[in-house]
Amino acid sequence: MIESVVIFSSLTLILGLILGYAAIRFKIKGNPLVDQIDAILPQTQCGQCDFPGCRPYAEALAKGEAQINQCPPGGQEGVDALAELLDLEVLTLNEEHGETKPDHVVYVDEKLCIGCTLCIQACPVDAFVGASKVMTTVIQDECTGCDLCIPVCPVDCIYVREITPTLSTFVPNIPGEVRV
Amino acid sequence: MSNNTFSGGVVIANPYPVNQVEIVQAPLPSKVVLPLQQRIGAEAKPCVSVGDRVLTGQIIAKTEDQFCVPIHASISGTVTAIDKQIIPHKSGLKSNCISIESDGQDEWIETQGCGHDFLHCDRQTMIDYVQRSGIVGLGGAGFPSHTKLSKATDCHTLIINGTECEPGVMCDDALMQHHPREVVRGVEILLHITGAKKAIIAIEDDKQEAYQSLLMFSHNDRISLVQLPTKYTSGAEKLLIKALLNIEIPSGGFAADKGVLCQNVSSTKAIYDAVIDQRPLVSRIVTITGDALTPINAEVRLGTSFEQVIGLTKVNSQAHDYRMGGMMMGVDVETTQVPICKITNCIFVNNKKPVQATKECIRCNSCNTVCPIGLLPQQLYWHAKGKNIDKCMDYHLLDCIECACCSYVCPSHIDLVSYFSFAKALSKKQETDQHKTDIARERFEFREYRLERNKQERAKMMAEKKQALKEKMAKDKQADSAQKDKIAQAMARVKKTKEDNA
Repeated sequence: MIESVVIFSSLTLILGLILGYAAIRFKIKGNPLVDQIDAILPQTQCGQCDFPGCRPYAEALAKGEAQINQCPPGGQEGVDALAELLDLEVLTLNEEHGETKPDHVVYVDEKLCIGCTLCIQACPVDAFVGASKVMTTVIQDECTGCDLCIPVCPVDCIYVREITPTLSTFVPNIPGEVRV
Repeated sequence: MSNNTFSGGVVIANPYPVNQVEIVQAPLPSKVVLPLQQRIGAEAKPCVSVGDRVLTGQIIAKTEDQFCVPIHASISGTVTAIDKQIIPHKSGLKSNCISIESDGQDEWIETQGCGHDFLHCDRQTMIDYVQRSGIVGLGGAGFPSHTKLSKATDCHTLIINGTECEPGVMCDDALMQHHPREVVRGVEILLHITGAKKAIIAIEDDKQEAYQSLLMFSHNDRISLVQLPTKYTSGAEKLLIKALLNIEIPSGGFAADKGVLCQNVSSTKAIYDAVIDQRPLVSRIVTITGDALTPINAEVRLGTSFEQVIGLTKVNSQAHDYRMGGMMMGVDVETTQVPICKITNCIFVNNKKPVQATKECIRCNSCNTVCPIGLLPQQLYWHAKGKNIDKCMDYHLLDCIECACCSYVCPSHIDLVSYFSFAKALSKKQETDQHKTDIARERFEFREYRLERNKQERAKMMAEKKQALKEKMAKDKQADSAQKDKIAQAMARVKKTKEDNA
C-alpha cells in the first residue's frame, strides 16, 4: 500500500516537473492564431477595415474585437475562409467598409507629378520611388492596389490600372461555368 | 510488357487518310504576323521599327533570356506594324506581334554555317547556331532545342521522335518521306553535338513509306530505326523513352538526367539547316485536314494567316470549326485571321457540329484505365471541379500531360482535360498571388519597423540634445559663480586697499 503511494506520488512529481519545464522551454511566443488569420488576409494594407493594416486587423479578430466581414479586398471568399478558421457564422461582406474591386495597381502620370512626396508617406508597402521636388513613380510589382495614395495627391496624377490576364497568367474556364 | 509499348493510351486510326502524302509548296504570303511571345520564356523585344526594310531570315526581335530564341523575319519586305494581334492560343487573347508586308522578292540575309564538314566544329558553336536559328521543338511543345542540347552533357542515347501519334497529323510523315537525307544528316549532327553512342529514330508502324524512305538513307551503324505500335500518346517524351529503352523518368525529372535526349524529327531537319547553312527557321510543314476539305500538307512561311493556308485546298462552303494542333491536344481557334507559329503542326477544319451534352460522371473507371501516365483522372476531376488544388497536387496533377485520352473515352462526354488545364493554371495563379502577398506583408512589416526605429532614433537624439543643453547650462552657471567670486574678491581687495589708505 505505502509502496504504491510512494511510487505514484514520485511519478506524479517527476512527470509534473517535466511538463512544467516543457511549458516554459517550448512556450509559443505571441498568438499563433494571429499568424493564421494574417495568412488569409490579402495583405493589401488598405485600412478599409478601420485598422491600420492587415496585421492589426488580424490581432483585433483574434481578440474578438472585430467582425470577419470588414475586408473588401479579400472578398466573400476571404470572409468564408475566416469563418471556417475561427469557427464563426458566415457573414456577408459589410458594405460600409467598401466594395471588392477587381485586381489593380496604381501608376503615376509622371508629366503631372510635382514631387510633393505625400504619396510616398501614404504608401503602406513603400512601393513609391521618389524624393522632394523630383518625379515619383510606382514599382508596379510591389503595389498592392490599396488606393491610399490617390486621395493624398494634390494634383490628382495617380491613376488606377486594372491587371488584365496575359498569355502566361491566363486561367481558362471550367467547362459549363461562366466566370464574371 | 510487350515490346516497345507502354500501358494506357488509345488506338485511333487517322480519321482523314490520304493515298499519297505530298508536300505542297505554299506561295509567298503577302503579309506575315510574327508573335513576340513564345511558348516558354519572356516576350522578345523588337530590334526593328515600323517602316524598316527587313530581309528573310533577319533577326527582328530577341531577348536576353537564355531559354529563348530570337525571332526572324520569314519574308523580305517592310515592317508595317508592331502591335497587339490575336494569336492562336486557347485564351483568344491578343499579344504583341510584328507585321511584315512582303515585297515579293524573298531576298535572304547572308548566312554562313558550318558547312557539310561539320565534324570540325565544336559543340558550343553548333549549339549557338541552333539558338541563333530560332529552333524550338516543332512537335507542338515548342521547347527550345538549344536548352535541351546544352543540358544533355552526359548523353548515351539520342531518340528522334518521328512517331507523330496525334491522329490526322501527317506533317512529320511527309517530312520523313520527302526529306530523308536531311533527317539522317540531322541525326548525325545531333550525335556529334551530344556525343551519344547511338541514336534511335522511332516511327509508328502505320507510316511504312516514311520508314522505307529513311531506311534507304540510313547507312550509319549508330543510327537505328524502330517501329512502334500505332497508339496515341506514344510520342510523349517520357512514354517514348519508357517504350524504347524501358527507362522511367521520375516525376519532375528530365530525360537528360537519365542520359537520354529526345528531339522531334522536324526539329532535327531544322537543326540540319541551322548547322550546315545557318539557315534560320522561317517555314514549316503544316497539315491541313478535317472533314470539310481534302487533306494536304503544305510548307508555309511562319506568320502566314490560317485563312491563306486553308485556301490552298478545296474547302466546302459550310460553317466551320477551326482547331490548331492535333484533334486530341490542339486548341480551338475562333477565327482564321491568326498566324502560323512554330508549333502549328496541323490545322483542323471541321463542319460545325452540335456540342455533345455532358452528363454526370458515372465512375466507370475508363479514364483511369487509359491514362498513359497512370494518374487517376476521375479523382483529379472531382478535386479540380471543387477547386481543391492541394488535393489535385496530392494526385500528381503536374504530371498530367493533357493528352486528352480521358476526355476521349469518357462515356459521359466530360471534357476532363480542360478541368486539368484549369486546375494547373489556377495553381500557378495561387502561387504567384501567394508570393505577392508575402512580399506585401514583408514590406509592410519592414515599414512599421522603420517608422518605429525612426521614432526611437529621434527620441534618443532629442534626449541627448536635452542632456547636452543641461550640462552646458550647469557649466555656464558654474562659470558664472566663479566670475562672481572673482569680482567679490576684487571688490574686497579694493575695499581693503581703500581702508588701508584711509
